[in-house]
Formats: sequence, C-alpha cells, structure tokens
Amino acid sequence: MLEKVFFSGKTEQKVIENIKRHIKTLGSACEVFKEAVEKQDKELMLSVADLEREGDVIRREIISNIYEGAFLPFLRPSICRFVEIVDEAFDVLEDTAYEFEYLNSKLDKEIEDNCIKIADINLKMCEMLLIAFETLSSKEDLREKNLAIRIYEKKIDEIKFDLIKKLRKKEVKDFWEGKILSDFISYLTHVSDVIEDASDYLYIMNVSLR
Amino acid sequence: MKIEEIMVKKIESVEADATAYDAIEKMVDKRIRSLLVKPRDEKDVYGVVTVRNIVFKVLGKNLDPNKVRVEEIASKPIVSINRDMEIGHVISLMNKFNIARVFVHEGKEIIGVVALLDVMAASLIERARGGRVA
Repeated sequence: MLEKVFFSGKTEQKVIENIKRHIKTLGSACEVFKEAVEKQDKELMLSVADLEREGDVIRREIISNIYEGAFLPFLRPSICRFVEIVDEAFDVLEDTAYEFEYLNSKLDKEIEDNCIKIADINLKMCEMLLIAFETLSSKEDLREKNLAIRIYEKKIDEIKFDLIKKLRKKEVKDFWEGKILSDFISYLTHVSDVIEDASDYLYIMNVSLR
Repeated sequence: MKIEEIMVKKIESVEADATAYDAIEKMVDKRIRSLLVKPRDEKDVYGVVTVRNIVFKVLGKNLDPNKVRVEEIASKPIVSINRDMEIGHVISLMNKFNIARVFVHEGKEIIGVVALLDVMAASLIERARGGRVA
C-alpha cells in the first residue's frame, strides 16, 4: 500500500530522487562548513552559500513537480512542508557561515573544539535524515531513525549549555563582537533543531501512511 | 563504533584529600553522578567516587560527610580502556565488572569517560544506521 501510494509513477520517482538530492546537498553543506571551521578557511566557507543556492533550485523543482500532479493530493502539503523544513536548515547553516565570516573566520581556542563537534554532529544528523527518508520507501518503521536523530540533538544541547557557560565568562571588546559571537552559536546550534523538526515531520508522514 | 567517538572528554575531578561533602557539592552543582579522584602522588593511582559510594559509605552509615575524605570511600583502581576499543568490548567489560562507567586513558593520562547512557545512545545510533558508516 505504502509503495503504491508513495512511489508509484515516474513523476513521483523524480520527486523522491530530488528530495534525496536535496538532503544530500544539505549534508555536503554541513561537511563543507565543518571543514571550513577546522581549517579557518574563508574561501571554503563561501561554498556553503553556493550549496544553499543549489538547494533552493532543487526545492523549487520538487515543489513544481508536486503541483504538476505528483502524489495523491492529500500527501502533497506534507511532502512540501518536509522539503521546506529541510530548506530552513540550509538557511540557518548559511546564516551561521556568514556569522563565521564576521568573526574573521576564527574562533577562540576555548570554544573551537565544541563548535567543530557540533558541526560534526550536524553532518551526522543529515546522514541519518537521508537514511530515514530512504526508509520511508521500504515498509520499515522510522521510529529508530527518529530516535537516533533525537539522541544527536540532545548531544548538541549538552554542548550548547557548556558553550554558553564559557561565553558568559568571556570578555568582549564591544557590542558587535558579543552579538556576532552569540548569533554564531545560536545559529550553529539551531541547525540540529530544524533537522530534528524535519525528522519528526517524516515520522508523522510515516505514521499517517500506515 | 570506536569508543573515542562517544567518550565525554570533559571530566570532573576531585582531589583525594577533599571531603565527601566537597564531592557532594560538586556532583550536585554539575548534575553528575561520579567524579574522578586524582592520585595523591606519583605512586598512587586514579580512583572514582560515585553517588553510590556517598550514599552507602557515608550517608547510609550516618557519618559526617565533612569528616570523611574522598580517598576513604573512592573505588580504586579505576577500570580504564584504550580510545580505539570497540563498543561491544566495553559492554562486556561493564557487564563483567558490574560498573556503570569506564574511563579512557592515553598513556598515564585519563582523557575521557564513557557511561552506560553513552553506550546505549551509541548502540541505538549504530542500529539505526544499519551498518552505514558515519
């Protein structure tokens, strides 16, 4: 039943492949971001914005394919919403990349390790989101994948509290230095929240298709 | 999955000659259940003091936590492993020694700790990945 409803025709297959491509592109953006922070590479960080634009193109293609008639009408809003949440993750990651640029592509030693760890977990969450989406096509339950994403998110939360503690002790020269650093951490730790939302939405779709 | 991928690098510790009350205070403040006990000198080894130690060896016996030193109630020596050990081995080790956490060493230094909850989370992630490498 699930296969029939979800993966029947050619247009549906095209949308499915594009959604996978969309999530993979998000994974690539997370990977590039992590590498750019590790290497303090400004040029590499600019690629995050390029990948975000690529993600936008894929999103538009998915949405137009859906409204051209892919999938049963009751499924269309859910699929569109899922794609939009993934797109939101791209936006937040892009914002993080811009803030990193304002920080002169450099982080203090005391917070650098934590930020790289978060970037690494964001990447792993993208990989898990792709696995979860692929699982939707088989008749398997998404529960385990959803739980794994929640575990990752919890880990980021723990690191976030630790980071905030460190930031509170840090002396800043002026308002903007403090604001940029604070925004950078907020955006960086928000990426996982959005990926978790996408996973939750996928799970709801999975349940509604039973 | 190797243990270095899941170990917690931030380790809270306490001096061997600190009081049990100092340890209690630190555990409550940091919301943790154990503290690494530093060696007294070069001949000494690391130990661990847990909530169990405090409850059963101090509070349960109506002793004054201000008068008991951490080294008197700490478990010594600690069980420690290499950072490249697989999770499966760690589970066996925890089961064999009936312990809730193992420390990770590099030479003589303790560089991390892995608790049962970390092992459970990592095992669930591995299961969800279905063999796909991170």
